Amino acid sequence: METQASKLAIIKPNKRNTLSLPVEVFLLIIRSLTTIMRTPEALLPPVAISIFFLVIYQSTLGKASSFIPGIGGSYLGFILPLSIVSGSLSGSGIAAQNLVRDIERGYFDKLLLTPVRRAALLLAPIMAGAVILGIQSAIVVAVGLLLGLKPATGFPGLLVVIGLGILLGIGFAGFTVSAALGSGSAAATQGASFLFFPLTFLAPTFVPLALLSGWLAVAAKLNPITYVMEAMRSLLNSGWDARAIGISILACLILAVATYALAAFALSVRVRRT
Amino acid sequence: MNDREIIVDELKKTYPGNVTAVQGVSFQVEAGKIFGFLGPNGAGKSTTIKILTTLALPTAGKAYVGGFDVVTQATEVRRVAGVALQDIGIDPLMKSMELLILQGRLFGASKQEATARARELLEVVQLSDAEDRRVGTYSGGMRRRLDLAMALVHEPKVLFLDEPTTGLDPVSRRDVWNEVRRLNRELGITIFLTTQYLEEADELADNIAIIVNGKIAKEGTPAKLKASMGEESINLVFATPEMAEKGKTVVESMGNRTQLDRDTVRLYLGKATESIPTVINQLQVAGIAPISLTLTQPTLDDVFLQVTGQRLVASEATNPKSSRPSRRTEGK
Repeated sequence: METQASKLAIIKPNKRNTLSLPVEVFLLIIRSLTTIMRTPEALLPPVAISIFFLVIYQSTLGKASSFIPGIGGSYLGFILPLSIVSGSLSGSGIAAQNLVRDIERGYFDKLLLTPVRRAALLLAPIMAGAVILGIQSAIVVAVGLLLGLKPATGFPGLLVVIGLGILLGIGFAGFTVSAALGSGSAAATQGASFLFFPLTFLAPTFVPLALLSGWLAVAAKLNPITYVMEAMRSLLNSGWDARAIGISILACLILAVATYALAAFALSVRVRRT
Repeated sequence: MNDREIIVDELKKTYPGNVTAVQGVSFQVEAGKIFGFLGPNGAGKSTTIKILTTLALPTAGKAYVGGFDVVTQATEVRRVAGVALQDIGIDPLMKSMELLILQGRLFGASKQEATARARELLEVVQLSDAEDRRVGTYSGGMRRRLDLAMALVHEPKVLFLDEPTTGLDPVSRRDVWNEVRRLNRELGITIFLTTQYLEEADELADNIAIIVNGKIAKEGTPAKLKASMGEESINLVFATPEMAEKGKTVVESMGNRTQLDRDTVRLYLGKATESIPTVINQLQVAGIAPISLTLTQPTLDDVFLQVTGQRLVASEATNPKSSRPSRRTEGK
């Protein structure tokens, strides 16, 4: 029996091992990805829907595109960004759904009882969501290529398109994660993810920005999605446009600053001891 | 060096809306002992454990775990305390091995250390055969044991167990008890456990505090608490509460004191066995025969009844998690 006791004394009590934040985040990302991969049923619908709409739009409007001025290049290159952006939105929900699941199951509390940094608890599910988002975007782009997409900027351009999709998704994830932390409820988190859906259409979604008019033109100019779509379209249909890419990255950053301020606040409320 | 692993001094907790969950609780737990915090649902047990494990802040009062202040030194407390809360916080999609390794690593162990430790803990809680199964497929007892292992990953000096056996079947309950005893005896871990089961406190704890409505009503070793009851008792069950009341007046003068609980009269006296014939005789003379007569040695249940005026079984019956029938049978 004595042996049992000595056998267990591997980690010395009070030993002050502290991990760096990146290591903590990395460990928790691996854990998040592990559980995400174990529920593939949650991953497939967003990709399937993105591909569905891509094929539908291409088949419905592909030939009509010659009547719309300003499309430039191919209609596929014009509409593919919509599929990626809507994937980014649904993908931003993955991180939040994971987090809310942990909160509901009590695993979040268990993590709070470890010395792990609170920021790591926020960043890890978001990064894990971003990884999934990247994979989803890559699949959508691959389908686009199968449908005959000829990107003006080649393979590097496609990587930038996927990167912008991820960046936008991370920005929105700050909001859905805030909802998860604030509500602790899966239903409320789901609802928050849907809030963004209309945003996809308050943008030059089906026609170029120049053709929008009235309040929609104003709304589209305030919508970060607009700039991401424009940049993606330039990459796919016309060529490298540093200004468009720069503006879209800036739009994503502004979005991220706003949503992460909210998330940090929601986190502090969630972990505050009362 | 202080040999008090847990010191709680005038701890108070008031929730918004002026609901006072804990009102001025004080106690100390010696290093290496098992302390049983006993009380019905809503007595303030979980609130106390949440404060001691840094998940909640006290409204007033002080508490130290392993010498650290639970309010100002929360991180230090987390390093010396292992916690298994009532609601088992484990991700059902993960495997026990993965959960334990992650837990170890978050406490700063290397991958090798954490893996070795996880393997040993799984052996200790007898889950090695199930290490590659998702936790979602585990039985309630297996989850409790895994939760216990999770709480032990960082080799805590103090282990907090919030109702570790609520909702478990008797066999799993025994398993958990054995585990708790083993951890205490072999590893010298100080254990603070809350329970609604008198039997559990009696079985495991070196010291017991009974908490009722946020206050400690009685404290001491199980033996001392039982001895404080002092006497044996003759329990007389009558057909109706009215008869019981009459019976009480008849036998009252024969014992040190009597207690009326619906249709039951408890007569506390020094030499119960020898007094039975006289008691029956007196009741026959008065013309009120009891329908049953039993003899009781003092138990913790008696202590509880005396302290609170109620039995603990009521809280079990209203606890949806508990599938067990009422453990206590009258006149046991």
